[in-house]
Amino acid sequence: MTTNVADEKVLISVNGLKKKFDGMENHALNGVSTEIRQGEVVFVVGPSGSGKSTFLRCLNLLEEPTDGTILFEGVDITDKKNDINLHRRKIGMVFQQFNLFPHMTVMRNLTIAPMKLLGLSKEEAEKNASELLERVGLANRADAYPNQLSGGQKQRIAIVRALCMKPDVMLFDEPTSALDPEMVGEVLNVMRELAEDNMTMVVVTHEMAFAKEVATRILFMADGQIVEENPPEEFFNNPKSDRLKSFLSKII
Amino acid sequence: MSDWLKEFANRFYLNFIKDERWHYITRGLRTTALITVFALILGVALGFIVAIIRSAHDKTGKLKIANFICRVYLTVIRGTPVVVQLLIIYYGIFASVAIEKMIVAVIAFGVNSGAYVAEIVRSGIMSIDKGQLEAGRSLGFSYAQTMIYIIIPQAFKNVLPALGNELIVLLKETSVSGYIAMEDLTKGGDIIRSRTFDAMMPLLAVAAIYLTVVILLEFLVGRLERRLRNSDH
Repeated sequence: MTTNVADEKVLISVNGLKKKFDGMENHALNGVSTEIRQGEVVFVVGPSGSGKSTFLRCLNLLEEPTDGTILFEGVDITDKKNDINLHRRKIGMVFQQFNLFPHMTVMRNLTIAPMKLLGLSKEEAEKNASELLERVGLANRADAYPNQLSGGQKQRIAIVRALCMKPDVMLFDEPTSALDPEMVGEVLNVMRELAEDNMTMVVVTHEMAFAKEVATRILFMADGQIVEENPPEEFFNNPKSDRLKSFLSKII
Repeated sequence: MSDWLKEFANRFYLNFIKDERWHYITRGLRTTALITVFALILGVALGFIVAIIRSAHDKTGKLKIANFICRVYLTVIRGTPVVVQLLIIYYGIFASVAIEKMIVAVIAFGVNSGAYVAEIVRSGIMSIDKGQLEAGRSLGFSYAQTMIYIIIPQAFKNVLPALGNELIVLLKETSVSGYIAMEDLTKGGDIIRSRTFDAMMPLLAVAAIYLTVVILLEFLVGRLERRLRNSDH
């Protein structure tokens, strides 16, 4: 699989990324460089405080890096001259806390961005949204408000909301961490299907079994750096660094 | 008992019916209502603009000069009595131009109310989880679009009770319009008093009318609140 991926074009290229939060002594990110190619499913794992969420949030500039560059489809999005809003349309994001818009129905949550930003008509936007809702098994909840949904349903809707913009890459920031255990499966199923459909994904998660099953590559982060990155087989069976060995020994 | 009733009827006739004195009340109510409605519109518009500038500055550190102007506005307006502001605007700022008193009053009360609305709305914006802003921005909305489509509608719902309160305060504050010789509801009652030398009857009538209008406003704001709460279950 990796040999195939190596031929695909580079979607995101991160170079020397650093991030220091105001008032913090250490860098949250301390020189992260990697490439994400079309169709890759990259999982980012590591102990808490390792900078994995910060890394993910830098990829669409929800966090502004202190130093380094991020090329998205060849354009340096850290350059202020480039309109980040245009690039964010192609970078879907799913949050730990779902962040659905509570004052809108599910359908409105799904159609507002495509209508306002991509200029789709209401009919087109709703048709797309309905098809995607059907795929995640929530076609009957189009008229519900977010507060009427379970956590798992909310997260599936949040994934669909990002998909409605037809993004080139999807970022997942601990998408199952806020869910009751019995709802984790339904969200992972949707993500698994996305991966099978060749969506490029970057996933920050603690779900190791899922990472092992779905990832094409796993990044292990610690202290704001990528310590090791490998395909899952190699990653779990043959860890090289002591940091990763001790991390794996604790979680399995 | 019947003597008391006769006396009451006499006073009622004297204060409201004779010489069509009730016109003072109805015309006054009309003036009060007009000032309140237009000052409300001006105040809400100003308040939202100031609140958005202030919260944008708090979030991003941009708009330094605009934020400074907003803070001066809030401090000065909230730090001085509305009557003094009204008089300064009438006798000071618009002294040399012939201008409708109604416009002066609307500007004075609108600018005054805007300062309070601004802080109410800002507290509403701050009450919205930052994940909402992030979700909006991650879809590609600009800061302004995220505000308009996502943050403000939720903030508005949260601060509606406080805004209703401000509306009630505004309505009652317009009772000082008499200072620039406007015949609002309060002044109307006072004119009747000066004609009939009966203080209680016209002033109680005026008080009752304010009370009735406030109760009506409370009812309307309550209904709006319930309608907007549709999405909470």
